[in-house]
Amino acid sequence: MVQIPTSAGGEFLAGCRDEAPLLLGVAPFGMIYGIAALAAGVPAWVAQLASAIVFAGAAQLVIVQMLAAGAGFIPIALTSGLLNLRHVLYSASMAEYVRHLPRRWRLLLAYVLTDEAYAVAVLRYQQRHAAAADATADLRHWYFLGAGFTLWAGWQLSTAAGLLFGATIPPEWELDFAVPLTFIALLTLLLRERAGQAAALVAGLGALAFAALPYKLGLVAAIVLGLAAGAWAVRRLEPVR
Amino acid sequence: MSTTTLVLLLVLVGVLTYLYRYAMIGLFASRSLPAWLHALCRHIAPASFAALTASGLFVAGGEVVFAFDTPRPWAALAAVLVAWRTRNVLATIGAGMAALYLLKLLFPT
Repeated sequence: MVQIPTSAGGEFLAGCRDEAPLLLGVAPFGMIYGIAALAAGVPAWVAQLASAIVFAGAAQLVIVQMLAAGAGFIPIALTSGLLNLRHVLYSASMAEYVRHLPRRWRLLLAYVLTDEAYAVAVLRYQQRHAAAADATADLRHWYFLGAGFTLWAGWQLSTAAGLLFGATIPPEWELDFAVPLTFIALLTLLLRERAGQAAALVAGLGALAFAALPYKLGLVAAIVLGLAAGAWAVRRLEPVR
Repeated sequence: MSTTTLVLLLVLVGVLTYLYRYAMIGLFASRSLPAWLHALCRHIAPASFAALTASGLFVAGGEVVFAFDTPRPWAALAAVLVAWRTRNVLATIGAGMAALYLLKLLFPT
């Protein structure tokens, strides 16, 4: 049984400690993002700023790849706005654990609510729940904050490392190719069910079919068409429950 | 895109993302997520990554180009095979980059 800290600081540090191993998986993406941002012509300070205000790895990689391909404002905003919509799911999953907190806490925790912080914090909430509903004050939001802060710091530092490193490597190394490779890897992990495969197939073909649309709007059209295909496949493959 | 426009774009995406994160713990804390939104979220990531991968590999300057005489499509194929066999993200990126360098070494242009 994991020891359960009883102070705010103890919870915070426990969150930091449990999040730390995940940084091994996150840091390479921060570096790839930094390197690819420079290759796409993004000024270093803007790339670092994006890590602080967007703070979502997949969306930042998407923005960089679209910038490199000469996409316009609206297609990039629509694509990354759609891609990040999944954060509403994490928000919904955390709602029952943080609903009782004062607004300032919820405003703060929303900022650090990423895939990786959610994964660690939700385990803590479930674990303590199963252990005992004891009378001690519930300080688990400090744990959540510790996990989120650790991920945030790791993301900022790995972005900075990528920007420093990226400035010194020649373009012949083609490290920007790591971005589509990342999408291939994530895509393979996601393609478990038929409906998702249909969505991906239609979106992929759509990206080629609409390639000629200006400002890369074809990407947005392809993703929307893919979502429609996914919805259609769900209705077709999973009959009325 | 000018730097000012880019910063505006990033602020817009950042604010939107923050609102998504705050939505169900703040803005709509007393409600549950609508079923249609839940279903939509499941397919956004696969559709986005597929469109971006296809576009990144086979679209250049608004035209579809199957450049099978260049290393990148083949390196991507190697990455797909490794991704499928290992289901490991870093191994996939490593294999794709290694294949790219190997192909460039074997078939210098």
